[in-house]
Amino acid sequence: MRRQALLLAAAAALAAVAFSGDRFWLQFLGKAMIGCILAIGLDLLVGFTGMVSLAHSAFFGLAAYALALLTNRLGLVNPLVTLPACIAFAAAAALVIGWLSLRATGVYFIMVTLAFTQMLYYLFNDSPALGGSDGLYVQARPVDSRVAAYVVIWLALIAVYLVLSRVLRAPYGRVLEGIRGNEQRMRSLGYPTRRYKLVAFVIAGATAGVAGYLDATLYGFVNPAQLGWRQSGLILVTVLLGGKGTLYGPAFGALLLAFIEHYGEKVTEHWNALIAALVIAVVLFLPRGLAGLLQGRPRG
Amino acid sequence: MGEALIETHGLTRRFGALAAVNGVSLAFETGRVHAVIGPNGAGKSTFLNLLSGELRATSGRVLLRGEDVTRAPPDRLSRLGVGRAYQTANLFPELSSGDCVWLAAQSRLPSSMLFFRPAERYPQVGVRAARALEACGLSQRRSAIAGQLSYGEQRQLEIAMVLATEPSLLLLDEPLAGLGHDEALRIVALLREVAKGRTVILVEHDMDAVFSISDTVTVLVDGRVLVTGAPDEIRNSAAVREAYLGGEVA
Repeated sequence: MRRQALLLAAAAALAAVAFSGDRFWLQFLGKAMIGCILAIGLDLLVGFTGMVSLAHSAFFGLAAYALALLTNRLGLVNPLVTLPACIAFAAAAALVIGWLSLRATGVYFIMVTLAFTQMLYYLFNDSPALGGSDGLYVQARPVDSRVAAYVVIWLALIAVYLVLSRVLRAPYGRVLEGIRGNEQRMRSLGYPTRRYKLVAFVIAGATAGVAGYLDATLYGFVNPAQLGWRQSGLILVTVLLGGKGTLYGPAFGALLLAFIEHYGEKVTEHWNALIAALVIAVVLFLPRGLAGLLQGRPRG
Repeated sequence: MGEALIETHGLTRRFGALAAVNGVSLAFETGRVHAVIGPNGAGKSTFLNLLSGELRATSGRVLLRGEDVTRAPPDRLSRLGVGRAYQTANLFPELSSGDCVWLAAQSRLPSSMLFFRPAERYPQVGVRAARALEACGLSQRRSAIAGQLSYGEQRQLEIAMVLATEPSLLLLDEPLAGLGHDEALRIVALLREVAKGRTVILVEHDMDAVFSISDTVTVLVDGRVLVTGAPDEIRNSAAVREAYLGGEVA
């Protein structure tokens, strides 16, 4: 129960920051929690279903752009309208991209998701109407107080975590676990596995959409680099660092990376090398990631 | 002749120039154990893979209860009642044997697109899984990790998983292969129980087991049916002895 205690303590500590009202910490930890949402969502695919997707950043970016375009072009700001709309847009994009990508498996699946991500990157990067390489400002933010934005992000993180935990304990989650273990056998047991994988891809895409919406709300700005595959690669590193297949592990991985990035920058401009060294160390000595430190024995 | 549950008509599968299964027409009657034997490379496993949808036929047809299922994928065939047990351990090696059987039993829910209620609160699944474990003598081993079971236990688990899908047709691919004498005896006893009231297609090398369990035996040679008959006829057929049994059977 060390794990539950740690999760509750972390959630409480993050909530407490809201009362500090400190500009830096609200922005910094708000951003870090958005990273947590991204990592948790990708873990559903990488850790629980055994699908490595490099399209996660695409759904993040699409939702962020959707918010910018809705507010700037249509004057829609109210989060009760824009939040569901942007999540639905990211989920719909995941449905289309997933439906096409899931015709491939293994490394080919990774390559197809990479290709779609780059396609979208260049679409936004090269279209002046979509802001081009400069990106877009969100002219009116759905939540404009910094504290309120922070609280919304905190609530979203808790909600995404609880919903995914619940889903994973349900019959659907067991099917994903089976697909990770032996997809061919799942088909022979009567499960149309591609359909289950597609649903997982859409759920993950929707959670990335939540993160993208919150990011655009927090910063009031979107740019094409957020869509690019490098971003997806970073989320993947976060998942492995934290410990795939645990949900909470990748969330802690995201928090850790945020701190390393922040403090590493002050120590050396080569802070990326620090992250690389950490990743190598974790892969070699902690194959189950940070979460492995909390688990007594290998998961059954 | 009783009623055929599944029939093949001119079923053929080619790999390049090789016809692994070549114009096989067979009918498998409801409630009977029908063994398919033959020397290595006769096309027995390919034949099973065609019936379970894991391979596509080059030509010919498969009819299940009269319905053409030649192009049906494995998951659809499973839902239509075709259960397949594999020769080499094809389990979920990281899951406990209880969870392996649970997954098999859960596949009989109308759909597993169920996102809210925890899985253990679907009692009908648990009951079905427990029954299959019990039938295969694995109740005591339900928390053991599948990948760490003994070879014989893995074979029991393999059969338990198929039983948990409540199949009307059971495809067994060499259930005795690689087992020691005692383990083989245990599995033969299990197969005898399992076969009661079920339709079984059994591919097997162990002749004693085949002749003692089966109602009907088909001999496959070079992808073609050499002969089909009662175990005694097959045992005494000169052609079969020539083609397959050699000097093994006196």
